[in-house]
Amino acid sequence: MLPLTLANLKMMARNRSTTFWALFFPLLLVVVFGLFEFDGFGSASLTVVDEAKTPNSQLLIQSLSELEFLRLQNAGGGESAARAALEKGDLDYLLLIPAGFGEAPSPDPGSTSAGVGLLVNANNVEQNQLVEAAVRHLVAESLSKEGPGDGAESVPPSVSPASLSIESVAVTQVRYFDVVLLGLVGLGIMSNSIISIAVKISTYRSQSILKRMLVTPLPIWKYFAAEIISYLMLAVIQAAIILAVGVFAFGAHVPGNLLWLLVLVILGSIVFLNIGFILSAWANTPSAASGMGNAISLPMMFFAGTFFSTASLPWVLPYLAEALPLTPMLSAMRAVSIDSASLWEVWPQLAVLTGWVVVTGLAAIKFFRFS
Amino acid sequence: MEDAIRVEGLTKRFGSFTAVDDVSFCVKSGEIFGILGPNGAGKTTTLEIIEGLQRPNQGQVSVLGLDVLRQPAQIKARIGVQLQSSAYYDYLSLREILVLLGSFYPKRLAPDPLLKQVGLLDQATQRVKHLSGGQKQRFTVAASLINDPELVILDEPTTGLDPQARRNLWDLIREIHQRGVTVVLTTHYMEEAEALCQRLAIMDRGRLVAVDTPQNLINRLETTYTVKLVVPAPLTEDQIISLNGGVSSIQTVERNTYLLRLHQAPEALDTVLQTIVGSKIRLDHLEIGPVTLEDVFLELTGNELRD
Ligand SMILES: Nc1ncnc2c1ncn2[C@@H]1O[C@H](COP(=O)(O)OP(=O)(O)OP(=O)(O)O)[C@@H](O)[C@H]1O
Ligand SMILES: [Mg+2]
Repeated sequence: MLPLTLANLKMMARNRSTTFWALFFPLLLVVVFGLFEFDGFGSASLTVVDEAKTPNSQLLIQSLSELEFLRLQNAGGGESAARAALEKGDLDYLLLIPAGFGEAPSPDPGSTSAGVGLLVNANNVEQNQLVEAAVRHLVAESLSKEGPGDGAESVPPSVSPASLSIESVAVTQVRYFDVVLLGLVGLGIMSNSIISIAVKISTYRSQSILKRMLVTPLPIWKYFAAEIISYLMLAVIQAAIILAVGVFAFGAHVPGNLLWLLVLVILGSIVFLNIGFILSAWANTPSAASGMGNAISLPMMFFAGTFFSTASLPWVLPYLAEALPLTPMLSAMRAVSIDSASLWEVWPQLAVLTGWVVVTGLAAIKFFRFS
Repeated sequence: MEDAIRVEGLTKRFGSFTAVDDVSFCVKSGEIFGILGPNGAGKTTTLEIIEGLQRPNQGQVSVLGLDVLRQPAQIKARIGVQLQSSAYYDYLSLREILVLLGSFYPKRLAPDPLLKQVGLLDQATQRVKHLSGGQKQRFTVAASLINDPELVILDEPTTGLDPQARRNLWDLIREIHQRGVTVVLTTHYMEEAEALCQRLAIMDRGRLVAVDTPQNLINRLETTYTVKLVVPAPLTEDQIISLNGGVSSIQTVERNTYLLRLHQAPEALDTVLQTIVGSKIRLDHLEIGPVTLEDVFLELTGNELRD
């Protein structure tokens, strides 16, 4: 069994095209979702708590509202409510304008005018730089314009650094990219496991390679065990690469326990390998196997909520979507890795997934044929 | 010496179609045994039952003294099999395939001497798909020898090969046989069976027609000469009757092609030739030959053996 597993891995490594495509599609999507910033600028929200209510503060709010990439949100519950919203990730920016903003500083050279505070979501690194620069500029500008009666030259047109203080708030908010990244890990494993095993086994059958195995004394369970083990290893490597690209190239946050994630990857992968074995029994040619694999994995990709929630689907479709094997796999993977849940907290998904392992395993044994 | 293979009353049906019909024969230890028959005769089906790949509907089969249904694993460990149309892994080299196959057996040979024996040592690191047809067949024979078997079963080892490659393979098979390995092979080719096999089973449409040495099979026939006539236009009834008036039997092989079998040469030959001249039959082609297994097959089954 070990020699066969090693030989399988060797063949996978040499069959570069298959291995390449197993990673290409999911990685392409990682790049697409990483670059397009679906959490991006268009939706950045800002709440201003204005305690000053001076002409300068009015001017600042006015010019902030003219910025295209910021959407001003009413501070309904005052500063504390706005802070809470920021911490939950519902709000991106909170600007605190203290009383006395824009009034002439006291003659004491050490003191400055009361500082404006900007609270930002620490997760949005690039966006924050842009917003901070813009706010800094607008604060300075609003301060440089004194009330209508005053001479423009009385205050220097620059703002001292202390007049804008920035506070980065750690937010455990779920980013869409993180959710999609886990979806892509599941998608990659699903499509690769289903399609490549279905194509491989039907190729082996059409070339009588399976029959050739049968005339040796190798017990047949060892043959399947070697196939499954080598594909599970491929699935784990695939998941690791996709996650690594998401995290290191596109700043995804996957704080959860990777060991739990590994368990889920393996469990899901077994289900999809079983499905691949079943398809290889139904398909008469390798290309039919490939077509069947796509016909199963593409709809499952959408219905399992890889990219968007399926809760809004009409009719019984949301319940059907729940029953697909990829759905519990993805939701458990997301719970475990994004919300740092432990494996026992996702026991309902684990139960469904284990059920799928058993059902597809039995079906694979029932339907499999060697010639 | 115990029989290497013993087949008794073997029947295999696919639905209502009987692919192997009450076949019995024995293969003696240490011989080269051939199964000869046209397409669909049931050769592969018979071999696959012997190899444990298919279950018979009726009959007993034992290999090396072991029952195929009860001890398949022990049998598989001691026999070598070349399947009629088996490819090998695309992404492994010849040597790696042999190592992998060897790992499935309790006893195995080193790959390199085996590759050397079949003349493929230089190709040890190549993939199967880069081999020529003859090399590929030699490799599949080598693969069937990896467990140092007592019995090798080769299903149409030379089909599709050019004469040169076929002769190479015959030499290889004789070499294997000389080391004391029992060889069972199937073939469509009479001359191959004649050249290679010590004993021969002739199958047609699932039935075993005869089992004997090639020479005995030929001697059994009454025919001693064959005359093949190719004529520009079909012979008339009268012409056929006049030819039939001699000591020959006559058979229409194809349109305008007739095969005459002569029983008492050389007088019969003389009679036939004079009849041809006397009845003014125009000839495109005339062939006089000795009896071959081809004729045996024809006489036993009434069918011509074709590729
Ligand atoms: N699995 C099967 N299902 C149905 N019919 C089959 C099956 N296997 C073989 N047959 C039929 O049984 C008959 C014998 O087939 P077999 O392969 O044994 O012939 P063969 O003598 O090996 O022929 P060839 O020289 O073409 O290899 C054929 O008519 C074939 O169509
Ligand atoms: Mg055959």
